[in-house]
Amino acid sequence: MSAVTRRLPRLWWLGAAVLVLLAISVLRVVTGAEDLASSGTVRATLIALVPIMLAGLGGLWSERAGVVNIGLEGMMVLGTYGAGYFGYHYGAWAGVAGALLMGAIGGLIHATATVVFGVDHIISGVAINIIAVGAVQYLASLTFVGLPGGGQTQSPKLDNVGSITIGPLSDALGEVEDQNIFFVSELAAVARAMVTNLSLLVVLAFVLLFVTYWVLWRTSFGLRLRSTGESPSAAESLGVAVLRYKFVAVLISGALAGLAGGFLAMVASSNYRDGQTGGRGYIGLAAMIFGNWRPGGLLAGSGLFGYTQTLGLRQGGTSVHALLLAVAVLAIGLAGYQLWRKQVRLAVGILVAAAALITVYAAIDVVPGDFVNITPYVVTLLVLAFASQRLRMPAADGQVYRRGSAG
Amino acid sequence: MSDVAPAVRLRGIGKRFPGVIANDDINIDVARGTIHAIVGENGAGKSTLMKILYGVQAPDSGTIDIAGTQVSLGSPADAIKHGVGMVFQHFQLADNFTVLENVVLGAEKLHGIGSAAREEIVRISDAYGLGVEPDQLVEDLGVGARQRVEILKVLYRGAKVIILDEPTAVLVPQEVDELFGNLRELKAEGLSVIFISHKLDEVLSIADEITVIRRGTTVATVDPAGTTSRELAELMVGSELPSPSTEASTVTERVTLHVADLGLPGENRPLLEAVSFDIHAGEVLGIAGVEGNGQAELVEAIMGMRPGATGTVRLAGQDLTELSTRKRREAGIGYIPEDRHRHGLLLDAPLWENRVLGHQTRKPWVRRGLIDRGASRTDTQRIVEDYDVRTPGVDTLARALSGGNQQKLIVGREMSGDPILLIAAHPTRGVDVGAQAAIWGHIKEARRQGLAVLLISADLDELIGLSDRIEVILRGRLVGSFDPGQVTPEQLGSAMTGAGGAA
Repeated sequence: MSAVTRRLPRLWWLGAAVLVLLAISVLRVVTGAEDLASSGTVRATLIALVPIMLAGLGGLWSERAGVVNIGLEGMMVLGTYGAGYFGYHYGAWAGVAGALLMGAIGGLIHATATVVFGVDHIISGVAINIIAVGAVQYLASLTFVGLPGGGQTQSPKLDNVGSITIGPLSDALGEVEDQNIFFVSELAAVARAMVTNLSLLVVLAFVLLFVTYWVLWRTSFGLRLRSTGESPSAAESLGVAVLRYKFVAVLISGALAGLAGGFLAMVASSNYRDGQTGGRGYIGLAAMIFGNWRPGGLLAGSGLFGYTQTLGLRQGGTSVHALLLAVAVLAIGLAGYQLWRKQVRLAVGILVAAAALITVYAAIDVVPGDFVNITPYVVTLLVLAFASQRLRMPAADGQVYRRGSAG
Repeated sequence: MSDVAPAVRLRGIGKRFPGVIANDDINIDVARGTIHAIVGENGAGKSTLMKILYGVQAPDSGTIDIAGTQVSLGSPADAIKHGVGMVFQHFQLADNFTVLENVVLGAEKLHGIGSAAREEIVRISDAYGLGVEPDQLVEDLGVGARQRVEILKVLYRGAKVIILDEPTAVLVPQEVDELFGNLRELKAEGLSVIFISHKLDEVLSIADEITVIRRGTTVATVDPAGTTSRELAELMVGSELPSPSTEASTVTERVTLHVADLGLPGENRPLLEAVSFDIHAGEVLGIAGVEGNGQAELVEAIMGMRPGATGTVRLAGQDLTELSTRKRREAGIGYIPEDRHRHGLLLDAPLWENRVLGHQTRKPWVRRGLIDRGASRTDTQRIVEDYDVRTPGVDTLARALSGGNQQKLIVGREMSGDPILLIAAHPTRGVDVGAQAAIWGHIKEARRQGLAVLLISADLDELIGLSDRIEVILRGRLVGSFDPGQVTPEQLGSAMTGAGGAA
């Protein structure tokens, strides 16, 4: 019975993606904000989404094994440096390896503290975030000063990994996009972004997302790893080496976070810079929580944050202004749902908020720049506040486990 | 004893923890194809012994032979390799996993984690009549089904020796019968079952041999055919077994607790629906039900811990419906929670701090919003003496006390707030015979003093012995009222599972 109610249709994500695109198309026509779904926006969204998604994947590995990893941010910072140092000296792919390695070192520290010594996960993670920033600043002043274009706060320019462009297809899709046909143009824009200057690291990130799903949910290694996050004492009673799995999971988590940092340095920008991560580790964690500790949900969460962040950068005022209307409509729908569930007070509250949004939408034409910049963060807060009602984290997430606790 | 080597032979097993000797010179032979019961009070060392046999803990001394070969069990993996499987008292299942995932975990090499494993699970389930479906989520299963999953887990690994730790503690009589049916099938297949319990009637009905453990050592091995439960009890505790039965009725006309049309909406069906009852001063109302049928929700709704509850709760004429949990407690409710570790105590706080818990607004231990340590400690000392809490002192951490002593402290604390209603949820769960008798005594004393008592218990003998009236709860509704003087545990069991009608 429950197996039936819980299982979503096989291609639910495809349907969901089409629905979102459709909604954006409608919004474009209604508000006239042309950059809501141009191929440029889609491409920029991909670039903005990948570091968040990789950080979230890191969080997923760690938390599925029951270790909360608030240190993702610090591990990303280590990754940015790793990409900067190794990328400059040994080439682009060495930079990728360096980012993975540096992140894994952060993961090693976190794993040693939390899994071996039983330190509180939050304390260890926050310590890593603080130490990583200082360590990287020190290393940068040691290794980048005096190099061409390098200095205390940035590395020299880095080579990028390759990218894929299918020229003729890209041009053809570009023409369709310029026709401004409802929905078709949006579809073309998305497709065009996929075949124009698509960075190999973006492809790699999506491969990693799929590999994560496959390993964690389709292999016995993954089953064991998840069992240490759901019920470590049960796992141990069945002979699973709980601490070893947790340790490995946190190492992988660190490496993925490091890769997220490396992506920021090499693809999203062209060199290592101080403070480059800008809290994306935390947003990655939020995206993972929003995604209910599942890869598919994590992708949706990263997409949401990446998209709002991108809108802020491209004709931000107009696009975010259009978004206000979308949120208001969503809120009205939500209010209706709550009314149907007989939660009258809640429904009224949401309706008032929706009315306020519509008022703001009507009163101004462009959202001021400062507010545009905080959009992704406001969205993070709002989404988590609403989504957290139905989320289910691994049952033993955040708990320190000591060997011999079985039975 | 016989020519064939026993399935398990334990010789001189000893285990010490700091300050405690858990096991000392334990000697047991378990013959092949038999059910061997191990009985003893809580804290007698049964659980430690089983953890040693399952490789969770290593013994300090002694030897373990399995099927005639001496083995060293350093981890559960070793035990599994030698064909020893264990069903823990607290089920070792991941709730958010399917049955399949729980079963194959750690044994993926046998049949993989896909369709071959699914077929094997169905095959075992059918062979032993376990009725387990591989793709259900464990959190959707009832207690009996979870236990069968645990047994299946052990069989899946090809165990020849199965240890069951207090398997009947959470089951109703019908489920116990089913379990015993399953165990007899296992026995018929030549498997050996080690059955740990302190319910002597059950042990006598199922076991082929019984070993008694007292204070960490084996005191006797007896044949159930020539033994009575009274003799077993005396071997266990060295004195007579107490009984829960109450004396003459003290029920008055005065209604203390009035509950009308209590409801609580749930995900699929209501957790509570149209629950109405009165408890008079001096009356014990027992609630019988299979776990998960709304007992916990009922208690929490009365305590004001469940937002969304509808209906009215009146205590001695005062309407509690809109009050917070603290106000309700102050109005005169004493509450012995179901899970003392989660709700009753701060395990890592000293006893005197635990004494103040729930009374943190009341004099004399709190003055002008500050805790008066002196008064709290003095009063904790009083509880320790009056309620026979065995502890080195009031500064000891609650964690260091045995379950029975923790529970006695809670009973003492709750009775110290001058309550007019006592809610006791599973008050003797997991405590030893001595503490059980003491707690029964306190409940009887509360009844004599004219308190209304709401008693929730899975122990039907306890319910029948202590209650003046028993209501059966099924799927959140009260479905039948019984007179404990007339009813048998079997009749209650039928009503609890919805099989029989109300009397």
